[in-house]
Amino acid sequence: MTFLLPGQPVPVRTPTTIGPGVYLKHGQLRASLAGTLADDPNQTPAIHRQRPHPPAPNSLILGTVTRLSPLHAVVAISVVDGIPLPAGEEFMGMIRTQDIRATERDKVKTTDCFRGGDVVKGLVISLGDARSYYITTARNDLGVIFATSEAGATMEPVSWQEMRCPITGRIEKRKCAKPENL
Amino acid sequence: MSSDALRAQIFQRLHPHAYLDRFLAEGVRPDGRESCAWRDVFVNVGSISTADGSALVRMGKTIVVCGVKAEIAEPELDSPDLGFIVPNIDLPAMCSPKFKPGPPSEEAQVLSERLNDALVRSNILPLDTLCIASGRAAWCLYIDTTCLNYDGNAFDAALVAIMAALGNTTLPQATFDLDTSTTTCSRDVHVPLSLNKIRRVVGLSFGCVGGSTPTLLADPTSFEEPLLTSTVSIVVDVEGGVVSVERGTMGENDGGQGETSASQDTGSLGECILMAKERAVVLHKLFE
Amino acid sequence: MAQNPFDRRRINGPEESFLPVFEPGQERPTTWNARCGRQSTDIRQIFLQPGLISQANGSAYIETEKTKLACAVYGPRQSKSTTYSEKGKLNIEVKFAPFSCTRRRYPLHDAEDRSLAVAIHQSIASSVRLELFPKSTIDVFITIIENDGIEGCVASGAIAASTALADAGIEMFGLVTSCSAAVRGDDIRLDPTEEETNTSDGVVVVACMPALSSITNVWQSGRITAEVTLRCMEMCQDRCIDIHSVIAHSLSSMNKAP
Repeated sequence: MTFLLPGQPVPVRTPTTIGPGVYLKHGQLRASLAGTLADDPNQTPAIHRQRPHPPAPNSLILGTVTRLSPLHAVVAISVVDGIPLPAGEEFMGMIRTQDIRATERDKVKTTDCFRGGDVVKGLVISLGDARSYYITTARNDLGVIFATSEAGATMEPVSWQEMRCPITGRIEKRKCAKPENL
Repeated sequence: MSSDALRAQIFQRLHPHAYLDRFLAEGVRPDGRESCAWRDVFVNVGSISTADGSALVRMGKTIVVCGVKAEIAEPELDSPDLGFIVPNIDLPAMCSPKFKPGPPSEEAQVLSERLNDALVRSNILPLDTLCIASGRAAWCLYIDTTCLNYDGNAFDAALVAIMAALGNTTLPQATFDLDTSTTTCSRDVHVPLSLNKIRRVVGLSFGCVGGSTPTLLADPTSFEEPLLTSTVSIVVDVEGGVVSVERGTMGENDGGQGETSASQDTGSLGECILMAKERAVVLHKLFE
Repeated sequence: MAQNPFDRRRINGPEESFLPVFEPGQERPTTWNARCGRQSTDIRQIFLQPGLISQANGSAYIETEKTKLACAVYGPRQSKSTTYSEKGKLNIEVKFAPFSCTRRRYPLHDAEDRSLAVAIHQSIASSVRLELFPKSTIDVFITIIENDGIEGCVASGAIAASTALADAGIEMFGLVTSCSAAVRGDDIRLDPTEEETNTSDGVVVVACMPALSSITNVWQSGRITAEVTLRCMEMCQDRCIDIHSVIAHSLSSMNKAP
């Protein structure tokens, strides 16, 4: 495995597709990252590097709800595609009411789906506007994955629309994500 | 990176309190230290030729550099025989994602003030030794510290750097000419500062975390710092004398849980002072 | 000399203070002396260490005798600007430590910081694949710890920045290296010290990507003929290839370590 540096030619003949970490210019394939070439059976040359990166369309994100309005919920994104951003770094995301759930979109109230401090799993649908990325939770596996009840305990989901506090037994409304191991 | 390590990192990012709590319940800290263990300190003096004295200090991953620049100024009217020391610390945007570019953050301002306090209180450098000619000329030492990598406890690291840089500082022999009212310095003769070496001080900082296992943490890292419920900072001189003790309570008090009764409080403070004195012996050895 | 600008956010000294004035006579003449221990085409030994600043996404510390600086890369971060942009932004900030120069520098940004940042930006910007980072900013912060000539700082700053970007895993077209030259008459000296640039007719700084054999930035100042400038550029480019192997070595040994 040879170690490549940005700008170094990649020793591959005629690639059909090119992966991340390499680029094609003037007919020459070159590395754009420092690292070793991935051993890919599909013959797609790429240099993989796990580093925190900004959200892109179709990125799976985790974030904390920081603000609610009747039209949207604002999320501070802290994990992108399974890689946490460094402490102190975050991207702003927005879940608009029409993107919270797949059905009965016009009856959705943001306060029945999220509360400040909830940890939400979502999917980036577009780069959004200058301020935030647009995020959707309209899928079974997306939504609130961690929430604290009014009594201060970690709640458990009882249905896709409700969570229960283990101390008081009270039910609070959330748009829950289906737990992974079910 | 394995997926387990990634999962741990995600948990740390989303639930820092619970993450730290789980470590402390096992009796270790996230960086592998015991609760009252200190990070290793390395000091390198005199590597910066543009400064009259300098030191680079690494405390774990925290890196600070201190440089002393000497200039000549006219003493204040009400203290004609005293020189000046002007200590400042900079926490630039380079050293941590939590600092933003621009004027000194609140944190940097407080830190500069605390370092100044430690310098003045310890009287390590009597200001009258900086006098060149009474009422006419005196040395002004600008003691600037810059943080290159902020991994917590900048106060202790900066104080070591300042002490080491002062120990490394030499001033040119200066003479004041009454006729021309000018100070001239010798090119060849440089003298070290007249430091009051037994008054040399080091800082020892602790943090306290609440949660399910309240623990005292020595030399907190930048991950631990925002999770602390209170801090204790002790300044100790060469003979083991306590020069100052500062105790701060952080805003993170969850409904009075962080509060401790007065007797409990003095108990843990006494414990801190004992540990600080023990550690101070090790730090003071670095200057020899 | 310099007025101390009163700033309530810092510990302030006396209103005015002056650099010590040395007795006349024994002053070392600052002239275009013969170099000792170094040929005019030799550059100073480079010590380059990536990854020193653990808090940053990528970093590099560089030392060439009396020029010492540290560089940290943060991001890609969300841009603070209010306009949407398809391309990423490269933000470079340079700071002199107060003790880094012969004169103490007051901790405020001045024109020199900015011009240095612009020169380094110019050297680096075209090497970064900014089209991959829509809406994002890549912050490059440089602190100069010891300064031995501005030209050396520009060259070392560009090398450190490029190394730090590679360390951070930011996609680039190639690594940037940089070298400076000072000219006096027909004499060309590479990687000059501050004393040499002060007594020279002019200086040239070249930044290039040796892997792509393309130049990213040329900065020439002073009175130099076109032919000599071109010769300087060629000599600098030759040295840049050597510097490239220094970066390559530091990055690959870094990659093996963890």
